[in-house]
Order: sequence, then C-alpha cells, then structure tokens
Amino acid sequence: MNKRTPLFLKLLLYVLLIAGAVVMVFPFVWMISTSLKTVGAIAEMPPRIIPKPLDFSNYETVWNKVNFARYTLNSFIIVGLDMVGALISSSLVAFGLAMFDFKLRNVIFVVMLATMMVPGQVTMIPTYLIWKQFRVLDTWYPLIVPSYLGGAFGIFLMHQYMKSLPKELYESAVIDGCSPPGIFFRIYLPLSKPALSALGVFTFMGVWNNTVGPLIYLQTRSKYTLPLGLLFLKSENVNQALMMAGAVIITLPVVIVYLLAQKHFVQGIASTGLKG
Amino acid sequence: MHNQRHWGYIFTLPFVINVIVFLLFPIVFSAYISFTQYDLFNPPKWIGLTNWINVLKKQEFWLSMRNVSVFALIFVPIQTALAFLIAFLLNQAALRAKSLFRLFYFLPVVTPWLAAGVVWSWMFNYQYGVINWFLGLFGINPVNWLYHKSWVVVITSIALVNVWKGMGQSMVILLAGMQNVPQEVLESAQIDGASGWKQLTHIVFPIVTPMVYMVMILSTISAFQAFDVFLGLFGGITTGISEQVMVPNLTIYRDSFLLFKMGPASATAWLLFFVILAITLFQRYFEKRWVHYE
Repeated sequence: MNKRTPLFLKLLLYVLLIAGAVVMVFPFVWMISTSLKTVGAIAEMPPRIIPKPLDFSNYETVWNKVNFARYTLNSFIIVGLDMVGALISSSLVAFGLAMFDFKLRNVIFVVMLATMMVPGQVTMIPTYLIWKQFRVLDTWYPLIVPSYLGGAFGIFLMHQYMKSLPKELYESAVIDGCSPPGIFFRIYLPLSKPALSALGVFTFMGVWNNTVGPLIYLQTRSKYTLPLGLLFLKSENVNQALMMAGAVIITLPVVIVYLLAQKHFVQGIASTGLKG
Repeated sequence: MHNQRHWGYIFTLPFVINVIVFLLFPIVFSAYISFTQYDLFNPPKWIGLTNWINVLKKQEFWLSMRNVSVFALIFVPIQTALAFLIAFLLNQAALRAKSLFRLFYFLPVVTPWLAAGVVWSWMFNYQYGVINWFLGLFGINPVNWLYHKSWVVVITSIALVNVWKGMGQSMVILLAGMQNVPQEVLESAQIDGASGWKQLTHIVFPIVTPMVYMVMILSTISAFQAFDVFLGLFGGITTGISEQVMVPNLTIYRDSFLLFKMGPASATAWLLFFVILAITLFQRYFEKRWVHYE
C-alpha cells in the first residue's frame, strides 16, 4: 500500500489494527481498574472502567499485609544475581567457543544447540533430586546457581556476536602480550555491550516471570518470589481487587524494563526466534 | 582460531559442567526412574516396564493427551493466522504509529503468566465477568468459560488466552521476515495491477514461509508443554482443574511433587517428549510441500 491507496482501505487498516489493539490492551486496563475498586464496587453491574470511588487501599494491603514488599525484594535479588551470572558465564563460554580451536569445540557447540530441544519436564525431576542431595531445597540456590554455568541461548547469542567482531582485535592484543583472560575482560567484554544488554533483558524477563522453578523449590513464605505470592493469593480466593493489585505490582517492572529496552528485546526475538 | 587449546577448555568449563550435571545426568537418571518405583524417601526399586504400561493403560493419560492435542489444534492455527495478519497490516508502508501498535500487540508477551491468568479468569467469571456482561449486551446468555460442563469450551477458552499471550511473539518473527520483502517488488506488482490480496498470496506469503514454519513449530512445542496458562487461570494444580481438562504437564507435576510417584511421572514426561518429537518430525516431513527457501 502506498500513497495511492484508496482511502477506505487505509481506514480499514486502522480500524482492524485499533480493534485488535483494544483486545490486546483491555486486560491491562481491566486489571488496573479492578485493583482500584472497593469490595462493593467489584461486582457492580454494569461494570465501570473508571472506579467510583477510587480506592488505593488494595495496594497497601497487598504490599504490607500480604507482604508483596518482601516478594518484590526477593524477586529483584534473584533476578539481579541471575543476570550477573548469565552475562558473565555465557560470554565466557561464548568467547572460548569463538576464539579457540580445540578438539571438543564442535562437540560442545552441537550439544549446546541440542540442549535447547530437551524438554524441561524430562530433566525436572532428576534436577530436583540433585538439589535435594545438596540439601538446598527451600533455598534460592537452585534458582541462581545454574545461571552461573551458562545457558545455551545466552551462549549462542554471545557467540554469534563475538564472531562478528574483527579477528585482528584478538591477534594484535596477543602481539601486545595480553593473555586470553585479559583480552576477554579488557577488549571483548566491553565491545559486546549490545549483545550483553539483549541477553540482560531476556534474563530479566525469563527469571522475573518464572513460576515453575520457585513453585518446585520454595516452601517458606518469606522466600517466595512475586509469581508465587500471586499464586498464593489466587489459591486463597481473596477478593478480585486485591488480586488485581498484586497482578499490577508483578506486571509493572517487566513492562518498564520492556519499554526501556524494547529495541534489544524485539531484535533478539526476531534474530533467534526464541524468548530466553 | 587460535591454537592455545587449554584456554578453550578453561573458558567453556562452566558450560561443560552444566551439561553433565543438569542435562546428561538428568536425562539418564530420568530414564532410569521411569523403570522404578520411587517415592523420594526409599531407594528406587526396579520394576521394569510397569510404569510405562500403567500410564498407557490409564484413561487419565489419554484424556490429557486428547486435551493438549485439541488445545494445540485450536491455539496454533489461530495464533499463526492472526500473527500473520497483524504483521502484514503493520508492514504496510502507509501506516503511521507502527511502533506504538507493535508495542500494544507485544505487551502480553512480556507479562508474567500469573498476572495474565488472574486477570483473564476474572474477565471469564460467570456472574461478574466483563466478557459475559459484554456478550449480554447483544442478548447472548452467559457462558461458564472456565468451569463449563463441556471440556471443549474450557480448552477453547484457555487456548484463546494463550493466543492473546503468545501472538505478539509470532508477529515479531513474521514481521522481521516481511521486512525482507523488497518494497520495489511490491510496488512494481501494484503497477502491473496485482491486487492487495494477490500481492499477499503470491509475493509476501511465499517469501515468509520459512518464518511461518518456524513460528508454527515453536508454538506447537510450547502448546504441548502448556503449564503456566493453567496455573494462572486456575490458581493451582489440584484446585479447580477438573480431570476432564488436565494436560500432561499438570499430571507430571502433580504425580511427582504432590504425590511423590516419581516413576509414573518420569514415564509420562518421556511419553510427552516422544509425542512432541513425533509431531515435530511430522511437520518437518510436510515442510517441503509448502516452505520455500531461497
């Protein structure tokens, strides 16, 4: 369609896209709207989009009494530690695969791609048993340690990026007497910032939204992450306004991160087809 | 490439440990458990094929396979078709505010499943749900979307929520593919009198078929592994989800972490894996008929 496109086609284009966008966005509007309603107003018919009266007390209840303050802190700590781990380990391994010629290189590369295909439900039970052996059930270790060992997706992303950097960088650094770890930390890591930020965003989203992991490993309420906190609210059948306040709290940080890092995120998905 | 071999091993060591501890060992051990009776507290006892036979004999397994297949059959085509349509519309040169539209369509993808689940279950509410209220305006009787007597209604509702959540991701992949279609080709086709529909079916679609294929494979695999969508909508594994609408990943989780029947759970996990593998190979077989590579 270009400038000569008939007006009614252009109109149709906008009508379709706006109608679709309304369907996509409405659940968010409804989430926020319900979270600001009093118990009496929740079931009001016909439903109002702008609550009357506006009631912010649901947030206070969820934040303090249901302890979402704690869950939010927990989520941020785990996400932070996982991001550090994923960025360091994935780029280390990617550097090793991209720069050195060693016998098992191709084997490791193929295994890495294969790991993306092994379904989580097959490895889930033995992985649980490993952590049980280490006596770290009901701690955050099972949720954090693996990210320090490099993940296939992150390694793949970093590998493709480092491969695209000119080889002369490495060679001239060797001539200058720089050791491989020095080259990694002083040259390649700083140069990989675009790929690192993409991986950072993916890790944030993946860990923040993870429900199964915390569900399997955490029992003590004070160690819960936000998704578990919300699941707990839902299973307790509290009123909808409280639940929606919880849902807004858990959604807001990812939406902010997404808005700030939109470019990296969308490019990452488009180029790999995967989502962390 | 450099010949300092030992450095290669040093840098890749973390991942080698990862693969051995969290991949190879779990695969082997999971296969082993599936042939044993194991409850986490007593040592595993070898019982041969018993778990596999029992799982295959139980109606529950076939119910869950039926449900997840119907779920995928509803979810994958609708999601792919909508994602294709939206990507095509977003790719129109005449469109303004592209990135704003893309943002709206992509928002559900980044939303945590639990948040999406609680808001949709509230909108689906039989008495006070906004969806039934809206349909009521047109004189349509309220539907008990998530707790309907008919499992088809329930599975369809869940699949539609899944479409809402996942559509943006497929859309972004397809949009990236469509941006590879040279604008000049479309323009010259238009000058030659090709209608918008002809351009779509004869130029755009053939060029993006590899992306359509990838999107379909990825969403089929994710559909068969559905778990979070159920958890978010129903708020638990044992609460609220009737036997009639269970899917394999839910029974695997329940058997292992709530009932401590590790053997049957592992056997079910492997069976699910084989089903997914078979479907992926099947789709690959038909790939040649319609996917064009340059």
